[in-house]
Amino acid sequence: MVNKQKSIWVFGDYRNYYQNRVTLQLLSRAVDLSRIMKAEVCAVLFGHEIEEWIMEYTAHGADRILAIDHPSLTSYSTENYLALIEKLARERDPDILLIGATDFGREFAPRLAKRLQTGLSADCVGLDITSEGLLVQIAPSFGGNMLAEIVTEHHRPQMATVRPGTFKEIPHNNERTAIVERLPLPADLPASRVRLVEYERAAQREHRMENAAVIVCGGRGMGNKNNFKKLDELAGLLGGDVGATRPVVYAGWAGHDSLVGQAGKHIKPKILFSFGISGAIQHTAGLGETDFIVAINKNPQATMMKMSDVAIVADAGDWLHHLIRELKKRIRE
Amino acid sequence: MQFNPCIKHKLIRNSARHFAETELAPIAAEIDQQRIFPRDAINKMKALNYFGLQVPEEYGGAALDSISTAIVVEELSRVCAAVGLCVTVHNGVAVYPFLQFANAAQKETYLPQLASGEVIGAFSLTEANAGSDAGSVEMTAVKSGSDYILNGTKIFVTNGGVCDVALIFALTSLPENKLQSSVFIVESKYPGFLRGELEDLCGMRANPVSSLFFEDCRVPEENLLGKLGDGMKIGLATLDNGRIGVAAQALGIAQGAMEAAIKYAKERQQFKRPIASQQTIQNYIADMATEIMAARLLLYRSCELKDAGAPFGCEASMAKLYCSSVASRVTGLAVQIHGGYGYSKEYDVERYFRDAKVTEIYEGTSEIQRMVIARAMLSQSMM
Amino acid sequence: MKPMLNIVVCIKQVPMVTELPWDERSGTLRRDLAAGMMNPACKHAVEAALQIKENQGASITVMTMGPPAAEEVLREALAMGADRGVLICDRKLAGADTYATSFILASAIRKKCPSFDLILCGAYTSDSETAQVGPQLAEELNLPAAAYAENIDVNSGNIRVRRLVDHFRETLEMELPALVTVSMERYQPRYASFSGLDKAFTRAGISVLNAEKLGISPADLAQQGSRTRVRMVFVRKAQKENVTITGAAARAASEFLDRYERKIGAAIGKSIEAKK
Repeated sequence: MVNKQKSIWVFGDYRNYYQNRVTLQLLSRAVDLSRIMKAEVCAVLFGHEIEEWIMEYTAHGADRILAIDHPSLTSYSTENYLALIEKLARERDPDILLIGATDFGREFAPRLAKRLQTGLSADCVGLDITSEGLLVQIAPSFGGNMLAEIVTEHHRPQMATVRPGTFKEIPHNNERTAIVERLPLPADLPASRVRLVEYERAAQREHRMENAAVIVCGGRGMGNKNNFKKLDELAGLLGGDVGATRPVVYAGWAGHDSLVGQAGKHIKPKILFSFGISGAIQHTAGLGETDFIVAINKNPQATMMKMSDVAIVADAGDWLHHLIRELKKRIRE
Repeated sequence: MQFNPCIKHKLIRNSARHFAETELAPIAAEIDQQRIFPRDAINKMKALNYFGLQVPEEYGGAALDSISTAIVVEELSRVCAAVGLCVTVHNGVAVYPFLQFANAAQKETYLPQLASGEVIGAFSLTEANAGSDAGSVEMTAVKSGSDYILNGTKIFVTNGGVCDVALIFALTSLPENKLQSSVFIVESKYPGFLRGELEDLCGMRANPVSSLFFEDCRVPEENLLGKLGDGMKIGLATLDNGRIGVAAQALGIAQGAMEAAIKYAKERQQFKRPIASQQTIQNYIADMATEIMAARLLLYRSCELKDAGAPFGCEASMAKLYCSSVASRVTGLAVQIHGGYGYSKEYDVERYFRDAKVTEIYEGTSEIQRMVIARAMLSQSMM
Repeated sequence: MKPMLNIVVCIKQVPMVTELPWDERSGTLRRDLAAGMMNPACKHAVEAALQIKENQGASITVMTMGPPAAEEVLREALAMGADRGVLICDRKLAGADTYATSFILASAIRKKCPSFDLILCGAYTSDSETAQVGPQLAEELNLPAAAYAENIDVNSGNIRVRRLVDHFRETLEMELPALVTVSMERYQPRYASFSGLDKAFTRAGISVLNAEKLGISPADLAQQGSRTRVRMVFVRKAQKENVTITGAAARAASEFLDRYERKIGAAIGKSIEAKK
């Protein structure tokens, strides 16, 4: 039996290319993994007029590109892409398949995993490999305060989704080459059952929070929506923005655009106030280099408290109230 | 340490708590300070059956059992006692007499509107000279053609400032020339119905408590509730029921105060540790929790008896007496645990302290409750 | 007469947001101690179903998989206006991951609502947020699907979904039967009235299904069980040299500002020195 070439596939999610670098980040990690596992890194993409992305993926680490270019694939289609990648995967039997956790990826990957009857870890914060090619998927556990190492022992491909910003892309290198397979659209591709009636680009919000010098973040320790809203007042006094953790957004205390973390904004303020936040990795993954972190929490052992420069043991809501009062007394131009 | 006799009660509690914390908590301190009746929140409550808790479905009510009703009042009062008061007075002593004593026509006319909250109800018995001595009512209702003409003044009427319908106790003369009290359904739009200034009270300040003045107020004879002379009967039966509502209120106030005290005790550090680690504070907390649990069970017991159709007056008095005294004690301890901060309006406990006191006074003072209980005990041939 | 739409809403009971006590020893959240609540996105899915029911008539079945206490979220959904509830409860099914959960839910749907027109789910849960059950359930039932719906329109056997994904506002159209996951952006869940809550106990019925009733054998479970395995769990290292401040909030806030006034003042471009 011929030793099959091992391969790590990265799904090419090229929409919003200039803001969304997740495919390049995954290619970079795949290259690291491929060295240990002695595998080929293969980017897989579908669409129409995709030459630019083929060149980009080549320049950013792919050894091979599998591309299907056809007018009917101009817009993303979960149904079409599922059928196409399923066919390719069954024909070529990749060992690992990585998908960026964009909105599209998060709908696409679980369906694909089910279709291929294989395991999937979502929102991984790390990926390692053993020399035998077992992918070690590192994902949050227990609400994000611990990490788990997850493996898919008996099924292939080993699938994982990873949020944008987890890995760093390799710099663009024009010298790199890749084997490009331009495949035809299969004649027996079933018609998609989902019709895209219309679409438009939604207005992109300016990246205020990503560039803000002062950010005030609140978590579930704020207690209720009412208390949470008071963070606006503190942010106003400090000229900063308000960020929120996932449980807070899902409880409806704040909008999704306030979300700071893996699934939301990545921030690097000079000063970060962290009110009532435990420090789950889904949140801290969004915290870049920060000069000064002040954490307020009832629990002195919370991860966020240990990560901070000043840890204040108090009820977040109460402390906020008093801080606002004190600041009002003191602030002047 | 929530106690819910069954899963339905738990869901009702969750629902009322969710509403109270979302809609009432943000405004509770301000409406108390400014004496504002929270119309927006009250309006949201109407569609959710807060004003028809025990009204039968055919009239648009929720037909809840008495424990569920007590739970609703408790949860409202745990956050905003003034709104809990509005709801319990409307349901407990304004709507209840309609359910028990109104004839078919009166039920048709008034129950749907009361249940939907389109019409807010009040109950007025108290006068300047008739508090505990309810028999000394002086207001009169004189027959004139097919109407009764009401003259007199009622004071301390809960919901007085906003009620659309009030049950008024007035003296009527019977054929034998005796004066007895009767009850009339009086709509605020009848000429001669006048509202007084809102009272400036120690607690429950967001509830529009006022006097009601009746100057030759004409009330159609169809609006006599029950029969002539039924005043005492209706009054006593209604107050029995009202007691359950006040007990539930007091329980909610106590529960809210205790939760605040526990939260504070865990956070406040003195002598390098939380004050919750001090035995004195722990003793206070233990006493509060035990008394509240006992009060709760006493309240639910009286609810059970009422729903079973058994006499419940004595137990209702016990519940009102005990729950209100627990509320006063617990809120006092809660302020004490908060220390200086408990005395400040920065924290909610001082409002709970002020709100608690009146539960020992209205709808039958604690002294009257003791009279009721003693009478019941002494009249039994076997204990 | 047009037959009524048959809608299934899959909902989940999750720990209450603010009530997760902290276990100091293990450094984890004590999920087992927290009170439960309906996952917020699931509540939005129920609301979406109720609005369809109000517009054109529908029969709504709410379904959940969980311990006996999960009955509460079914009752809550019934109180909001759903018509019947299904509780999938069996110790043998505990610990199912999304892969297995979607298989189990599909079995229950085939058994209890085989002629469904539309399945709605919350787009994500507040406790695990993998957002996988919806898509995997769609795959299991071989349905067209759309996730993160903000708006749903049903019209003569077709469904139109508006959603925001990756900065694109899309309008998709599918033929029923289909599956849609509902985001929290638009629908505002209604409060349940007390008469609704009462009826949820006196009128509406909840059927309870276990593995046997579903026709799921241990072999099925093994086959549909988790493809992944957790081989290790570890605590993240996160220790910094830091200063701890405790004490009554009022005094501590003042102390804090005194100590760091320069640092904070510099970052915000204003002076926050205490007025003398």
